[in-house]
Amino acid sequence: METNIKARNNIKIQGTGSTSMFLVHGYGCDQNMWRFITPEFKDDYKIILIDLVGSGQSDENSYDYEKYSTLEGYANDIIEICDDLDLQDVCYVGHSVSAVIGLLAAIKRPELFKKLIMIGPSPRYMNTDDYLGGFSRSDINDLMETLDSNYLGWSSAMASVIMGNADRPELAAELEESFCQNNPKIAKHFAKVTFLGDNRSDLARLTTDTLIIQSKIDAIASIEVGQFVHDQITNSKLVILETTGHCPHLSAPKETAEAMKHYLT
Amino acid sequence: MNNNIEYKELYNNFPSGYFCSLPNGTIVDSNNRFLALTSYTREEVLGKKKVADFLSLGSKIYFENVYSPALKLRGSLEEINFNLIKKDGTKFPVLVNSVEVKNKEGIHVFTQSAVFNISQRKKYEQELLIAKIKANDLSNELQEVNKELKSRADLILKQKLQLEEFNLHLENKNRQLSNFAHIASHNLRAPASNLMILKDLYKESTDLEEQDMLFSKVETVIIRLNDTLNELIQSVKIQGDKYIKHDAINFKSIFDGTLEILDNQILGLKPIVTSDFSEAPIIEYPKIYMESIMLNLLSNSIKYSSPDRIAVIHFCTTVKNKEIILIARDNGLGIDLQKQGHKIFGLNNTFHEHLDSNGVGLFMIKTQIEAIGGSITVESEVDEGSTFKIIFKRNISC
Repeated sequence: METNIKARNNIKIQGTGSTSMFLVHGYGCDQNMWRFITPEFKDDYKIILIDLVGSGQSDENSYDYEKYSTLEGYANDIIEICDDLDLQDVCYVGHSVSAVIGLLAAIKRPELFKKLIMIGPSPRYMNTDDYLGGFSRSDINDLMETLDSNYLGWSSAMASVIMGNADRPELAAELEESFCQNNPKIAKHFAKVTFLGDNRSDLARLTTDTLIIQSKIDAIASIEVGQFVHDQITNSKLVILETTGHCPHLSAPKETAEAMKHYLT
Repeated sequence: MNNNIEYKELYNNFPSGYFCSLPNGTIVDSNNRFLALTSYTREEVLGKKKVADFLSLGSKIYFENVYSPALKLRGSLEEINFNLIKKDGTKFPVLVNSVEVKNKEGIHVFTQSAVFNISQRKKYEQELLIAKIKANDLSNELQEVNKELKSRADLILKQKLQLEEFNLHLENKNRQLSNFAHIASHNLRAPASNLMILKDLYKESTDLEEQDMLFSKVETVIIRLNDTLNELIQSVKIQGDKYIKHDAINFKSIFDGTLEILDNQILGLKPIVTSDFSEAPIIEYPKIYMESIMLNLLSNSIKYSSPDRIAVIHFCTTVKNKEIILIARDNGLGIDLQKQGHKIFGLNNTFHEHLDSNGVGLFMIKTQIEAIGGSITVESEVDEGSTFKIIFKRNISC
């Protein structure tokens, strides 16, 4: 069972510290997006990196469309991994959709988590009459089209290499560069679950100490959305970075790591 | 100076769009072609617009979640399809190639991107995409139909096997019925005509003593007739017993039980009876059949032992090709297989002049063995002995 979970989520552990820092990537990428952050915490933390099922090098066969039709399915995986690795007082860092996944996990099993760090969280992407998530249904259809035409090297030949089903050394070099390559069918399903979900009402149920790291200009999760998340979570702090884009941990890793360190110490 | 102007000319009129952006996305330079594609002026774009500002919202999600992280991690990206928005709000599809440019210290200073208009190609691609979706649906449908066909074929095969088995069963039954008819016509006719004659004699007789004697003869014939009938009924019953209950049989214990039954007959002959079931001590088999097989073989060996020598009888089991085989060997009178081999297992065939041989035993056990899917064979030399070999059905191993 243990090895199943490890392979399922492509779990990688690094660092020499004793406190657990659990880093979870957001929609569209994989654990590689933490590569500029991990060096900053390696000495003081035991760092747990995973790929969400269906992303990166996770076991694609474990992608159960039913289970992952809500973020709850992913949250259960997080809890399962914590239990399996016997983690305690976890500092959970989730980007984008994984901030919400961490939120759900911490509501379900508060004793597992000491702190939550949310980078660019958004509890709901769709606009409603009284809420500005930033997107409408037609935008999501537009995204589906974009996903259809952008397989990022996901031809059938590459797919078999990425899934480890082919022995093609000439493609190994390409595989090295296969960051953010995800199975298009799963990517579309995950996109729908991510961008059509609504977890606003869960925010108030969270009791864990939380830091929200917000990019000043973020087209996916606006500063107003970050403020909303902060207002709803009782024990939360909001830090706004002078950065542009949805992935400050990639575009401004120093500033992001500093904000995290400042909060954790 | 001239060179510089020429380069500038080439740059601006290069047949694809080009722009240069800062790490935060702000566009700081672009060629005329890019401006023409988007219908903006240089002043409206440079230093004012970010790359994401030109993207439709769906493209923006992809830009932020996949394109930007991937570009950061890989350093360059090619053939990314976005929908760009013109100044008038209309959308058109482009392919974008991007590369991060770093300074000497390895710090990302700006990103260069080339933009190709693919409106025509996109229309065709969409047609292909629709065709692909249709083909996928069709292929799925075909797979379903195939699955259905395969399961039907499986069913037909199963039914065919059942029919074959049923056919075999019928053939067997036919043979048994014709055997039954044979004994009915031949065996019962003799005692019946015997009875007729005795009846006539009885009627004609006036002597009381003679009548008593005739009646006791009638009684004997009736008892024999009844025995024959009972045995016939028993043997016919076996036909339908294919699905009879199977028990875990210990050869040794059945054999020992059989010896006890035959104790009286053995007493007079003092035969040497031995057994060795160590190779296959146990089998799943109907108990009543096994008892019947052992009893008939053992009693035959005793019945038809040679008066000239001490009877030596040996029963054993062996395994060959995963099949359990029971071997019963004796040094008795033997059978002339050349003359009588073809009818040894037939009904009412007796090969010896013994009084109590009625020709049912071998027929019955053959029927029983075959009913479970096994077979029985015999090797024999006249006045040297017989060896019966019973191969039980393969899948009824221990």
